[in-house]
Amino acid sequence: MGGRSFETERIALRALDPDDAAPLHSYLNDDAVLGRRYVPGSVRDAEPLSRSHVAGILEEWGKEKTGFTLGVLAKASGRLIGHATCEWPWDPHCPSISLVIAPSEQRAGYGSEVVRLLVAHLFLDTPAHTITGWIASWNEPALVFAAAHGFAECGRIPRAGVRNGSYYEQVVVDLLRREWTARQGGSHAA
Amino acid sequence: MPLEGDLVVLREERRGDQKLFAEWRNDLATQAWGQSLPPSFTEEMHVKRFEAMEFSFKPAGARLPIVHKATGEVAGYIAYTDLEPRLSASIGLVVAKAFWGTRVGLDAQETLLRFLFSELGLRVVHLWTHSGNPRAVGLAEKSGFRITVRIREAVYKNGKLLDTLAMSLTRDDYYARRPELTDALPDPVRALRGV
Repeated sequence: MGGRSFETERIALRALDPDDAAPLHSYLNDDAVLGRRYVPGSVRDAEPLSRSHVAGILEEWGKEKTGFTLGVLAKASGRLIGHATCEWPWDPHCPSISLVIAPSEQRAGYGSEVVRLLVAHLFLDTPAHTITGWIASWNEPALVFAAAHGFAECGRIPRAGVRNGSYYEQVVVDLLRREWTARQGGSHAA
Repeated sequence: MPLEGDLVVLREERRGDQKLFAEWRNDLATQAWGQSLPPSFTEEMHVKRFEAMEFSFKPAGARLPIVHKATGEVAGYIAYTDLEPRLSASIGLVVAKAFWGTRVGLDAQETLLRFLFSELGLRVVHLWTHSGNPRAVGLAEKSGFRITVRIREAVYKNGKLLDTLAMSLTRDDYYARRPELTDALPDPVRALRGV
């Protein structure tokens, strides 16, 4: 399996190294990504992160056995502008994906390019049948983004957490292989 | 005071339970998830897992054997995992086939729910199953769980593509269905709003 390029004209997805700690520390502490950092579960998601926290996150990502996290590199600037994860803790039949783009780089189409690369990888290079995404209900831009990429809402887990004085839900979205194939014009061709 | 229902007692796990746990894990009828097969689990594997457990004042979960009060037999086990203190946990249940249809599973589920809501103060309890397990769905619905998520064709078991189901029971729904119980724990969100 594998062999697909993790690149477009504008971005490259590459493995993360300890040297990535500085840009990671910067955008993970941006207010706009608090609560939706998509970092390993043992690391707090909504409070300020120290450099040692970020080093711990990089270390956890380096140990992943049922998935992978890649950095999103903007080719023009050579800067790390985000990270993306594919994981299948239980079954590669049903992996999930998540994505964070640094707020300063959002609304430039990078996220769409990342999702297209990851979904193509999972459906063309792995046994994935259903891909899921897990999005906090307050994160409306992400819900719109997921729908735009063909993901359908399949339910909401109540009381997922408390934010700004209210409970929020965890919205689960899914995309089936045949739906993705149809969106590609019915062809599996790479 | 043990966790006691009408029909069952939920007690701590013991070394002697491990043989039964291995048997249930190896039985395709009591093992809901095909991904954890083949049926090659041994008692020794379970004993190692048991012996690796350490004392903690902050356990993230527990596996509690279900003791059938009338016979003293271990009829299955019920577990909670993924504990988010004061917020949520997920439960799972295995009942030995000999006890299917005896209400032991429902009594164990109700006993654990009472503990999770009345002692741990959780706001919601979840469970995960699949669309090929109507027995689990029906049992959960008897306690007030509702299907909240259906991930399409996410499970392959017994030669079929099945949907993963998440079911949830909120604290509000739990107490609303059980008027004999009083909820004295203020809801942190409602308290902010002066409700």
